[in-house]
Amino acid sequence: MKEGISVTGMGIICAIGNDCAQVLDSLKQGRSGIRKMKYLESVHRDIPVGEVMMSNARMHSLLGIPEGETVSRTSMMGAIAIREALSRAGDISGKRVALISGTTVGDLDITEKYFQRMKTDDSLLNLPHSNECGTSTMEMARLTGLSNAQVCTISTACSSALNAIILGCEMLRSGEADVVVAGGSESLSRFHLNGFNTLMILDRAQCRPFDASHAGLNLGEGAAFVVLTKDARNPLCYIGGYGNRCDAYHQTASSDDGEGAFLAMSEALSLSGLKASDIQYVNAHGTGTPNNDYSESQALRRVFGENIPEVSSTKAFTGHTTSASGSIETVMCILAMLHDFTPANLGWKSPVEGGIVPTSGHIGVKLDNVMCNSFGFGGNDSSLVLCREPRPLPELVKARNCTVAACVTVTSAEELSGLREFISPMESRRMGKLMKAALLASLKALQSAGLQTPDAIISATSRGMLELSQQFMDNIDEGGEELLSPTLFMQSTHNTLGSAVAIRTRCHGYNTTYSQGEESELWALRDAERLIRSSRADSVLVGIFDESTPAFDSFSQRTGTKVPAPLYAKAMILTAEK
Amino acid sequence: MEELVKQLKEQIIDALNLEEITPDDIDAAAPLFGEGLGLDSIDALELIVILDKYYGIKLASPADGKAVFKSVNTIAEYVAAHRTK
Repeated sequence: MKEGISVTGMGIICAIGNDCAQVLDSLKQGRSGIRKMKYLESVHRDIPVGEVMMSNARMHSLLGIPEGETVSRTSMMGAIAIREALSRAGDISGKRVALISGTTVGDLDITEKYFQRMKTDDSLLNLPHSNECGTSTMEMARLTGLSNAQVCTISTACSSALNAIILGCEMLRSGEADVVVAGGSESLSRFHLNGFNTLMILDRAQCRPFDASHAGLNLGEGAAFVVLTKDARNPLCYIGGYGNRCDAYHQTASSDDGEGAFLAMSEALSLSGLKASDIQYVNAHGTGTPNNDYSESQALRRVFGENIPEVSSTKAFTGHTTSASGSIETVMCILAMLHDFTPANLGWKSPVEGGIVPTSGHIGVKLDNVMCNSFGFGGNDSSLVLCREPRPLPELVKARNCTVAACVTVTSAEELSGLREFISPMESRRMGKLMKAALLASLKALQSAGLQTPDAIISATSRGMLELSQQFMDNIDEGGEELLSPTLFMQSTHNTLGSAVAIRTRCHGYNTTYSQGEESELWALRDAERLIRSSRADSVLVGIFDESTPAFDSFSQRTGTKVPAPLYAKAMILTAEK
Repeated sequence: MEELVKQLKEQIIDALNLEEITPDDIDAAAPLFGEGLGLDSIDALELIVILDKYYGIKLASPADGKAVFKSVNTIAEYVAAHRTK
């Protein structure tokens, strides 16, 4: 791979535009897309958001979806961005294609609307009702002519889309695909608007990342995808390197020294073979919460020292597009490189104590190497380096074989008392049943393999912490979006399980979560094998975690689909064969 | 006040799911965060929900709760002075 990985197409839809040209114009004009809520149905009308300025009905007709078919906003925005990306990428027929999307919300915008009625009304069960995020990616494949592609969904909260791009690069390097369409899509939902509201980190005005007056984030929505191939002719740019590491600090807060972010940026730089001083622009995660902005500032200082390049957060343009932010901001970085400008950090006036000073944006700067940061709940931190010139990336050759050193399964609530051997009641006070099972299986498997900390943690979960998520959804409906519990929400992202294991084992290594229905386990095992065979990890913990609830079981029964196990946690320790 | 302290302890145990802890285990004068009970930022958010739900008190941010949430006694004093239900 002497020319490395090329980006041959890109597509985007977000609050500041429905395609690349519109987004470019808004970025250059400094036009924010944070506005009063228009499409999302919520009682919290005072919370500004970054909505895509297109109704569901308009997306429906734009995509030519037949009347009577209901497709989630996440799938429709994703399909719109994929179509744009493919239109620039040239002919991909006859190639082995993979579609990888990052999302957490998935089809939830539909499920949450009808959930209470679905409990009794069979006629509503033709709508998305499984609460699996993988189904939204399958729909995108169907709507974009990629039905024959390998389809995969990554769900690492707000770094999902960047981790989807990283998986795409890994698959190209190991020869598992010829063309990868990777990115992410996330619609606003009442569920996560209320969730972020319980965490009290939503700003009531346009967010001001890195500014002394920053008071939280604005939620946004959108989708963006890139098309990646090896050694293409005339690409838009090249992937220089990437890093995925875990902060292993807290489920919803970043560490004071930004360890995870520092490690992710360092790894991305190291793979690219570039020096920190070669990077001319960083698109920061920069959510606007005091915690993120402080932590990321420390991490940037640790990577770049006193010579920090131009940095901006574009979240005052788009809002925090959560799972889609990694690909939306990747596309913005590419637009900046192609059109010789740096996007402004809107709303910044004066620095926070200890914080970086972001750029107000420049026109006419030639950018050769840029970096894009994307961090998620649970400390799933990732970073991507994009380059104007080709950067050779080593192919992932199979240097050794992989073996299972230990495997522990937990399937009943009665077994959970065994967790006391490892964790105090105070430490497990917030954990739902599946998280306890996941931790118990993982810690026992590590114990059996004679390990304290694995080199990497890879999780597979189709529906995550379903019991607490359903409780949060029920509480939203019963209490009219008031008096909700942050404890329920903070465990609703699928990566919360793998993150809990990382926090417990102090594992700062590679950490990701697959959520593609029953195929999740296979994707996770493939990833673990890739790491071990190429000698980048000696031990990988692979966790397969899922649970069910009576309401979701009834949906399965009434639609004649398989009723999943009420509780299932399997932890495997993969190591290199001796 | 004694009754309110006891009620608050029960509400805290319930909302924070403090398994294996009884109201008598909580020293009403001891710090809730850091040392003492060892609560964290998410617990502080749950305490804000308790004040709103049972006493009609709305705190705008966790920062506003810092002085209030020092101990069960300080919460009881604040609730007694500001409750609307």
